[in-house]
Amino acid sequence: MVAMGPFFVWLETTALSVWVREATVVYAFPGILSLHTIGMGFVAGMSAAINLRILGVASFVPLMELRRFFPVLWAGFWLNAASGVVLLIGYPTKALTNPMFYLKLVFIGLALVCLKAIRKSVFSDEDLDFTPVPRRGRFWAGASLACWTGAIFAGRLLAYTYSKLTTI
Amino acid sequence: MHEFQAWLWSTLGSIHIVRPFMTSVWGWPICESLHFVGLSMLIGCVGMFDLRLLGMAKRVPFAAMHRLIPWGISGYIINVITGSMFLITTPDQYIYNPSFHLKILFMLIAGINVGVFYLSAFANVKQLGSGAQAPFFARVIGGASLFLWMGVIVFGRMLTFYRPNPCNGEPEGFLSICLK
Repeated sequence: MVAMGPFFVWLETTALSVWVREATVVYAFPGILSLHTIGMGFVAGMSAAINLRILGVASFVPLMELRRFFPVLWAGFWLNAASGVVLLIGYPTKALTNPMFYLKLVFIGLALVCLKAIRKSVFSDEDLDFTPVPRRGRFWAGASLACWTGAIFAGRLLAYTYSKLTTI
Repeated sequence: MHEFQAWLWSTLGSIHIVRPFMTSVWGWPICESLHFVGLSMLIGCVGMFDLRLLGMAKRVPFAAMHRLIPWGISGYIINVITGSMFLITTPDQYIYNPSFHLKILFMLIAGINVGVFYLSAFANVKQLGSGAQAPFFARVIGGASLFLWMGVIVFGRMLTFYRPNPCNGEPEGFLSICLK
């Protein structure tokens, strides 16, 4: 971690980093955080709704048609990847010296693994439109719900667990 | 208005039941986390129904899609409970917060929007099967719902930055107002 010091100093003195932290405009830090929360609602929320259907909720919904919501889910994901990177540029020390941040990334990574497994084991099988999803698919749906919940908790706890705000 | 705010402050401030938990190390952070989980359930389940109203995933019958709504309402209930816990613990941070006023306003309009939907379009919409398009009025309600809940998220997220502070010296943030 000692080796990261100069990197943090360099990043925190870049114009973008200073702007994120210090710009007194509502669309800077507050606006980026708002976008990050809307994106979270769509990526975690659309995933949750699809997972609930896989687990048997709203079983008269033709499952394959829910593929149409994947672009909405991905829009939320990429909005958050982008806004997350900007927030990280603003406060690199705060995030990267906090183990909770890495836990959040692990949860998001695992959630993406679940999503890929769901696409492969559930959405590749057109016969599952109305028939109950086999155990394997339901496992991935449950795991996905757990991972997004974990990512939200870890992300929210970032505000309470950091030890150092900035290096400069 | 000032009298009402003062009354609300003293009334909510006199409720002590959740304070020990909320001021413990993990109380507030856990409620914040649950508040964001509830938000996602609401946006996911209600938002999916709204998108269907707007014309996405037309093969899904409305009655079938509507089975997701109770899960969205569960998220809403989680958020009313956790949100009330924040409000009761530090009432002054919300009662005098312009972002909170807008959040409540958007929640109210969103609530009216839901009421209008169930009193008008729903009886017709729930009969619509696979492939059917929602009537124009219902599509407007669906679009309004998405817009309003996103507004609620934005003003909720902005609460922190508009928190009034005692301002003994310098104001804490560029957006916050002094609480006199």
